[in-house]
Amino acid sequence: MREKPVRTFWPWLLIAVVVVYAGLLLLAPLVAVISGAFEDGIQPVLEAITAAEALLSLRLTFFLAITASVINAILGLIVAWVLVRHRFPGKWFFNALVDLPFVVSPVIVGYVMIVLFGRTGWLQNFPIQLAFSLPGMLVVTVFVSLPFVIREVMPVLASLTREQEEAAFTLGASSWMTFYRIVFPAIRHGIIYGIVLTLARALGEFGAVAVIGGGVQGVTETATIYIYRSLHDRNDIGAYSMAITLGVISVGILVVMNWLRRDPSEKGSQHVDPTE
Amino acid sequence: MQLAFPAKAAARPHLPFGEWGLRAAAITYLIVLIAIPVIVINIEGLRGGLDLFWTDITRPAALSALWLSIWTAGVMAVVNTIMGTLTAYVLVFYKFPGKRLLDSVIDLPFAIPTLVTGVMLVLLYGPQTLIGGFLDQQLGIRVLFAPPGIILALLFLGYPFVIRAVQPVLAGLDANQQEAAFTLGASSWVTFRRVVLPAIFPAMITGGLLGFARALGEFGSIVIVSGNIPMRSQTAAVYIFGQVEGGNMAAASSVSVILLLVSLVVTLGVDFIYRRKSYA
Amino acid sequence: MSILLNKVSKKYGAQNIVREFSLEIESGELFVLLGPSGSGKSTLLRMIAGLTPQDTGEIYLNDRNVTALSPQKRGIGFVFQNYSLFQHMTAAQNIAFGLEILRVPKAERDERVHELLGLIGMADLGNRMPSQLSGGQQQRVAVARALAQRPEVLLLDEPFGALDVKIRAQLRQNLRDIQQRLNVTAILVTHDQDEAFELADRIGVIDGGELLEVGTPYQLYRKPQHRFTATFLGSVNLLAAERNGTTIHLGDKRLPAPPQTDHLAGQSVEMMLRPESVEIALTPENLEGHLLGSGIVESIAFAGVLERVAIRVQDWEQTVHALVNPDKARELNIRPGDHVYVGVRDFHLLPLN
Repeated sequence: MREKPVRTFWPWLLIAVVVVYAGLLLLAPLVAVISGAFEDGIQPVLEAITAAEALLSLRLTFFLAITASVINAILGLIVAWVLVRHRFPGKWFFNALVDLPFVVSPVIVGYVMIVLFGRTGWLQNFPIQLAFSLPGMLVVTVFVSLPFVIREVMPVLASLTREQEEAAFTLGASSWMTFYRIVFPAIRHGIIYGIVLTLARALGEFGAVAVIGGGVQGVTETATIYIYRSLHDRNDIGAYSMAITLGVISVGILVVMNWLRRDPSEKGSQHVDPTE
Repeated sequence: MQLAFPAKAAARPHLPFGEWGLRAAAITYLIVLIAIPVIVINIEGLRGGLDLFWTDITRPAALSALWLSIWTAGVMAVVNTIMGTLTAYVLVFYKFPGKRLLDSVIDLPFAIPTLVTGVMLVLLYGPQTLIGGFLDQQLGIRVLFAPPGIILALLFLGYPFVIRAVQPVLAGLDANQQEAAFTLGASSWVTFRRVVLPAIFPAMITGGLLGFARALGEFGSIVIVSGNIPMRSQTAAVYIFGQVEGGNMAAASSVSVILLLVSLVVTLGVDFIYRRKSYA
Repeated sequence: MSILLNKVSKKYGAQNIVREFSLEIESGELFVLLGPSGSGKSTLLRMIAGLTPQDTGEIYLNDRNVTALSPQKRGIGFVFQNYSLFQHMTAAQNIAFGLEILRVPKAERDERVHELLGLIGMADLGNRMPSQLSGGQQQRVAVARALAQRPEVLLLDEPFGALDVKIRAQLRQNLRDIQQRLNVTAILVTHDQDEAFELADRIGVIDGGELLEVGTPYQLYRKPQHRFTATFLGSVNLLAAERNGTTIHLGDKRLPAPPQTDHLAGQSVEMMLRPESVEIALTPENLEGHLLGSGIVESIAFAGVLERVAIRVQDWEQTVHALVNPDKARELNIRPGDHVYVGVRDFHLLPLN
């Protein structure tokens, strides 16, 4: 039994410190944005969020996030597979590369795209227009959300014993069949969790898409850029409403995340017979 | 007795895709998407020669932006390493009402767009709000458009890093090691310091460094709370944004190179700690 | 009296883990608590150490009531099944840890660590990290760490559980030597009867959280009081019988009652036959002991030193197992299906419940 029921003073003090810190840090801002947005009731919020340009920006955000998630799910799975199962020189380097999008400033990411594909960029004659356009925004969104699927799938894949696959081979299953029936069910959970994280990250991206997209109203304006512009234009209710909308979606994603995270760990945390 | 096994049984298990095709796809993806951009920014930053790079980087606004990014991220990393470790400890070892909720809420910063975080903080600490007004008028502390606001935003988004790094290590810690220390007469505090802390230290540093690196490049929340005042509340990422918008590519490049360099060093440091740990 | 347990009980929810457990252990004794997994033996050991609080009952160590004391203050040494060495400390640092807690001066500490490393035969390995030690070496360091403070009582929870058979046998002897040399009172918990036989001065058999009986290995193997003890310690044949006066009625056979079973007079009993006491012959005259009946050989299996023969005895439709010397088996030249006579040299009685 790891958790001990708390009896003495000190543990309660530690718990109180943590709860107060987490509450002030995480929940107070949440309460503030809700009370701020609904100051004049629900009507203005509904109006703001159903404004044509608001809806347009939301649609763009969803398009980018979902497309990026699909791309990163497929290619992320391949990268994870190669990094876990293959041995080749320089593997550690590629493994280290995967973490970079976690730490590289999104502004720099957007800026690199401008350097490459901008009007005076290195590749200004590139056949597809990437700067200040949707494809460019998609590329940066894919970049910033790249590590999640890989990092969620890798440990699960690494922990799989080869015996199961070998058992399937000895039973005559083809490679594809083995992957589909044996490997995939084992890593499915990791993939889904990774996709959810990818989605969350992609939905909220601002810096990179703002730089590369230029934030052209109704064309390259995502939900986050919409919030930014609304604040500038003193359209506070518009900004708060959109912030709340994204916040609610995020909390929804968080709920899904927790539900996913809890599912397998539930078995582990069950009351174990402590006698032996 | 003879069992007829399919011919495949003897063969080395195959990959479901062509081995080389798969590897090529993975490597190309990583190189095109990650390696090339990193190389590009370095070439671009140093294209005008080291002198120009030096001139750009030593502008007071650039220097102060870089320094502001580093010290605010540093303060955040220290605070959250301590608070995150404490949180992880409480979550792993104690049972209390609301524990599950707390455990869930910790991921909030991973889910909420940082720009939204910025908006939330403006609504919480802005000069016309209850808390912000009180802090400003009674205590003379400006939160928004000043370093405290930046640190608050970073504290918010950096909170989960150390917790999520330390929590599994604590949970996987052999409880008997602590009990062994107890039977040898060690108090709870001595046990924590001598037995638990050394075991979780690499995870703490890893989480702290990752949080630091992440905070260094943070843009979305800071652009809202900092007010973008050069020399006072303009961080490196915001500075780069401003230079790009203004068409001043050289200035943007040089600060990008420095920022990227710090991130790279930190990431490699984390990699090193991880590896050293797994070799030990 | 070194260790005294008085009606110690522990429940988890509605489940009784340890029930009114009372036990006295002499100074310098190595007492083995033997029971199957889930019998509550580890929980009992942890309660003695103060690691798991008991619900009711008292615990005395050297006439000191430690019932309410924390593990820090009980003066015990504890060896965990997985050793639980501090992974970031060397073997020597692990052993020195308890001495540092006692604020033993450095010079004295080093000397004691050196002495203990010698005692466990690892004088040159003090600077190794736990990850650089074999399982057996880690186990010995764990023992040395537990002994460093010269505890009054040493508690060992399945200390050989994670080792392979060969090393296990070596380390048992090692542990026995150390325990006798230091004359420390020890309780060892295990589910392995061989381990119990080899190490124990006395064995306590525990099942379902209750102490069934206590005795020397010989007593428990040859003259157990409980069916559970008889079956848990080695294999056994159990035959339903009646004891009338000093005679045992087994079907139409009459046998003299064994000694120390007078309390079972006039009762339905079970005859307990260890397989090595069962003999086989082709004619009743060739049996040295008492004739039990005749039957058909079901199987013969090689069992190391001896051969295991299963015989289906016709009179009471039951299979009896015998362990016979291979030479004897060859001499008899029996095969499955052969008709043989079964006898017994020595047996014991158990109450039928």
